[in-house]
Amino acid sequence: MESGRQNRLKIASRPWNGETLVEDKEDKRQAKQEEQPRIGVYVCHCGLNIAGSVDCADVAKYAATLPNVVLAQDNRYTCSDQGQAGIKKDIKEQRLNRVVVASCSPRLHEPTFRKACEDAGLNKYLFEMANIREHCSWVHLYDRESATDKAKDLVKMAVAKAALLQPAKEAEVPITRKALVIGGGVAGIQAALDLADTGYKVYMVEKEPSIGGMMARIDKTFPTMDCSICILAPKMSDVGHHPNIELLTNSEVAEVKGYIGNFHVKVLKKARYVTKDCSACGECIKVCPIVAPNEFDVGLATRHGIYTPFAQAVPSTYIIDMNLCLNKEGIITCDKCVKACDRQAINFDMKSETEEIEVGTIVVATGADVFDPSVLPNYGYGKYPNVITSLEFERLINAGGPSAGHLLRPSDKKIPKRVAFVQCVGSRSDRAGKLYCSNVCCMNTIKDSLLIKEHWPDTEIYVFYVDIRAFGKGFEDLYKRARKEGVVFIRGLPAEIRENKKTHSLWLIGENTLKREIYRLNADMAILSIGLESRKDSEMIQRLLTLSRNQDGFFLEAHPKLRPVDAATGGIFFAGCAEGPKDIKDSVTQASAAAGRAGILMAQGKVTVEAITPLPFPEKCKACGLCVKVCPYNAITLDKEKKRVEIIEAACGGCGTCAAECAFGALTQNHFTDDQINAEIDAITEKDADKKTVAFCCNWCSYAGADFAGVSRMQYPPHARIIRTMCSGRVSQKFVERAFARGAAAVLVSGCHIGDCHYINANVQTQKRVERMWKKMEQNGLNKARLQLLWASAAEGEKFASKIREMEKTVANVKPEEIEKAKQVFKKALEES
Amino acid sequence: MPERIRHPPLDKEKMEKPETEIHLIKDECKGCGYCIEYCPRKVLEESDEINARGVHPPRIVDGSKCMDCGFCTAVCPDFAIFVTEKQKGEEKKHA
Repeated sequence: MESGRQNRLKIASRPWNGETLVEDKEDKRQAKQEEQPRIGVYVCHCGLNIAGSVDCADVAKYAATLPNVVLAQDNRYTCSDQGQAGIKKDIKEQRLNRVVVASCSPRLHEPTFRKACEDAGLNKYLFEMANIREHCSWVHLYDRESATDKAKDLVKMAVAKAALLQPAKEAEVPITRKALVIGGGVAGIQAALDLADTGYKVYMVEKEPSIGGMMARIDKTFPTMDCSICILAPKMSDVGHHPNIELLTNSEVAEVKGYIGNFHVKVLKKARYVTKDCSACGECIKVCPIVAPNEFDVGLATRHGIYTPFAQAVPSTYIIDMNLCLNKEGIITCDKCVKACDRQAINFDMKSETEEIEVGTIVVATGADVFDPSVLPNYGYGKYPNVITSLEFERLINAGGPSAGHLLRPSDKKIPKRVAFVQCVGSRSDRAGKLYCSNVCCMNTIKDSLLIKEHWPDTEIYVFYVDIRAFGKGFEDLYKRARKEGVVFIRGLPAEIRENKKTHSLWLIGENTLKREIYRLNADMAILSIGLESRKDSEMIQRLLTLSRNQDGFFLEAHPKLRPVDAATGGIFFAGCAEGPKDIKDSVTQASAAAGRAGILMAQGKVTVEAITPLPFPEKCKACGLCVKVCPYNAITLDKEKKRVEIIEAACGGCGTCAAECAFGALTQNHFTDDQINAEIDAITEKDADKKTVAFCCNWCSYAGADFAGVSRMQYPPHARIIRTMCSGRVSQKFVERAFARGAAAVLVSGCHIGDCHYINANVQTQKRVERMWKKMEQNGLNKARLQLLWASAAEGEKFASKIREMEKTVANVKPEEIEKAKQVFKKALEES
Repeated sequence: MPERIRHPPLDKEKMEKPETEIHLIKDECKGCGYCIEYCPRKVLEESDEINARGVHPPRIVDGSKCMDCGFCTAVCPDFAIFVTEKQKGEEKKHA
């Protein structure tokens, strides 16, 4: 590995002389003939996805006229086996030494085509992609002419960059064969057990005193009506006893550093004040004077200051709630529990500690919160005692719960005769709650109604719904069974719930939308079927692990279809409701998938990292140390004696912000060199520059957001041409100046939101640079609206699209004098290169 | 667990809180204030009156908050405070 790194360093510092890195003699002979770039361009129709709004044949014809292009063709599916075979054949027969594919987003198929190139003996860094689907055909569906023109520009940019591409060898990074699972719900439990059974060491971090999560609180599961805790408890116990699992409960992840295969994680283990000697005999709770509502039972039962949340808790060790205990740090005023404990397991001197662990992969299984219906005043939750949530119902119907399995009305503790369920509380609503369907509530209600029927067959049950979604295996049968048992389903949610002040019975008033009549139903109890929402602290996890979340707050997968459990950040995987609301079966399935994906990485034991590290030109370096300051990874050090900087490649994340900061051109970034990006800018601005916007997008957020706008077919005007960089921190002032100097109407710099940067905080530099540019533009009397800065996440396609729409006015209103003035002001930018 | 608790516990009535009586021997107090300082429930505060030793003895703010931990008894250097448990059914007296 070490030699690989050195090797790459050598290659990197050697000026490009036209030789590829292939070792075989035969290939070397071929390489000699390849001193001039020979570019092959493939324009993909993608069925009608691209060809529907772009004239692909015309684009290919145009591509053939571009410099260095020896071959240009259009075909229906370039990513198909035949398409790839064609590229491989041409690389060999036509001696192509660069390949450009104009098709979909490189975030989707770049790996596919890179692999095809490698198979044909071409270094994969000699491949370039033009995104004419997500960034062109899909967003300009009804403007074939402009879309075709834009596609030509995008191909021209790719060809211009391709001519300057250089081969590179990737460094290999070893992967620590240990995994971290964040969250101890059923998803986390399954993922941890699968990984541990495969033979990897697993750390499981759970912030509650016990693992088990939401499933431990549910009475029965649908559609099979299994007892939830009965099937979960053995798994929890397995986690507790597994030799490969280290269970850290009452703990939180405090810091995550490093990268795929090599994460350094700090876990804050909060003090429990009870040692492992605890035998869970329960003598202490008999004497503890403190009484509080038990959170596990949603406050429907009490617990003491020293407690265990539920009987099957793992670990079974008790815990002291220090917020309530009479004792404060250093002062023991009440020692009743200490005296009651035979095994002397209580220790008030315990301190919170931080454990540092090294892991190779991370599974995020942090779960979901439930919607709080007290924000809906018309349902009276929190005001009327007999309006409860479905989660409270689960605790009430549970034999181990606060009412020992009797469904009691909170107001008089009597068993209700008429029960109403209200569906979609907090889901599928643009007025109150969330827009999405929470996936589990319909079946949960059907299951709950059957449970009531099972215990008290005479109970009248009414379910008020919008749509019943019984889509899964065995779901429809359960729905039919509920109807057969006499559960009444009424379409139309109640507009209001009113209470009879004397009896605390309820009136549900609304419209039956099937019969088109108003109903007024009397019920003893109403159960609000509350939806799931993302964890309130998921923002913290997002920042710790540099993840993305969608507009609903759930973590965003790398690809919705093909990489549904991978995070965009390497080595991180999702399981369970953290990624989106799902039932137990789906959570378990996804957890096993995540464990499998993490297992693949760890079984390989190594991973290659992209060769996108800095490329130094020591002769130009003035040892000013600016690059050292901006590097988010401390991967650059300044050697004051030798007056030069040194780069620690293994620590480099590949953002390129050092290259953007260097004022002397002594540093650039492999595969995103100044020359390559300049070539792209020049390609855009060669023709009709005054009608175009040069847009810089970072790979992880704004480029992905632009992709999302395409996938969602959000239409926006065709003036923008996107240049992809890994991070917005790569966007040097020189690039912006060059775009204006070449007469561009506007420039857009976009990246991840501050705090969400994929490269820790490199986008802070972006902000500084753009602000500096604005100042410069203002001082020179230029309209600074021509330079825009946009923070857009991968889920904010609409935000990106509306920015482009907004900028259309700026582009249209730019006067020729203004363009000319900017050209004059920034003309130095052209001289430098 | 992040849910907000909206309903009182069903077994609330069954839970017994120790009923205590706090006895102050005011003239023994030398006003060190330890009992006030260390009471975990902040049951006591300094009063305005002046006792035989010329200091302000403590006063009971809210006796119902007392959990009978007995720390005030243990910490008082002058044996001027002690707590007894009230017998059940006994009429509430103001200490």
